[in-house]
Amino acid sequence: METKPKLLKYLDGLTLILFLIAIWMVLFYAPTEAVMGNVQRVFYFHVAAGWVGMLGFLVAAVVGVLYLRSGKRKYDIVGVAAVEVGLVFAFINIVSGSIWARPIWNTWWTWDPRLTTATVMELIYAAYLMLRQGIDDADRRARFGAVYVLLGFASVPLTFLSARLFRTIHPIVIGTNQSGSMGQFDMAPKMLQAFLFSLLTFTFIFVDILWHRVRLGLFAEKIEERKIKLGEEG
Amino acid sequence: MNMNLSLLSQSGPAQTTDYMIAGYAVIIGLMAVYLISIWLRKRSLMRQWEMLEAIQDKDK
Repeated sequence: METKPKLLKYLDGLTLILFLIAIWMVLFYAPTEAVMGNVQRVFYFHVAAGWVGMLGFLVAAVVGVLYLRSGKRKYDIVGVAAVEVGLVFAFINIVSGSIWARPIWNTWWTWDPRLTTATVMELIYAAYLMLRQGIDDADRRARFGAVYVLLGFASVPLTFLSARLFRTIHPIVIGTNQSGSMGQFDMAPKMLQAFLFSLLTFTFIFVDILWHRVRLGLFAEKIEERKIKLGEEG
Repeated sequence: MNMNLSLLSQSGPAQTTDYMIAGYAVIIGLMAVYLISIWLRKRSLMRQWEMLEAIQDKDK
C-alpha cells in the first residue's frame, strides 16, 4: 500500500480535534432542553449521521454517472466506498433515533413515514453491497453498481422529504413543523451552534473515512491485478 | 403508540440522561467498530501483498 499522503495525515488530526470539540459542545456547551432533558443531545449527532449517510449515497450516485460516462474502474471503487460509509452512518442515524424515541415517543420504533423511508433506504443500499458479491465479472459488476446507485438514489430525497410530505410524528427541527410531531423543540443559539458544528465535523469525518476506504479499495484492486499477473506468468 | 405524556406534566426537564449515554455509546461504538473493520481489512490486504511478493521473489 502506498504511504499515507501528508494531507490525509493532517486531515486525520484535524478531524479528531473537531470530533473532540463537537463532543464537548453537544455535552457541555449546548443547554439542556427544557422538556426532553439530556436525551435531546442525541439529536446533534443523530442528524449529522443522517447527513453523512445521505452524502455518501449522493457521492455514490455522482461517481456512478462518472463511471457510466468514462468506464474508469476508480469510480466504481469510490462508489462502493461511499455506499459503505453511507450505510454505516445511516445505520447510526436510525439506531440513535430509536434510542431518542424511547423516552419521547414511549416506544423504540414505529412505522412512521420518516422511519419507514429511512429503513427502506438503508435496505436498498445494503442490498447493493450483497448483490455486487454475486457478479464475478468486474466490468459487469461496476456497470450494475453504477446503475443501481442511480436508481437507489431516489430513496434519498424521498427519505429527506418524507417528514415534510406525509403526516408524521417525526419532528422537523429546521423550518416549519407539523402539528402532529412529537419531540419538537426550538433551538436556542447555543444549540444551533452545536448543531452546525456537528454537521461540519461529521462532513470532515465523512471525507476522512471515505479517503481511507477508497485507498483500501484501490489497494485491493492492485492485489487482484497482481494475482492475475502472477497466474498468467505461472 | 402514545407520546410519553409524563413529559408534559413534569416541572423540570425529564430525567433522560441514561438514554443520552446509551445514544452516544452506540454512535461512538459503531463508528469505532467501522474504523477497526477498515484497519483489519487493510492488515489482511498487507499480508496478501507480502505473500504475493514472496511468491514472485521465489519464482525469480
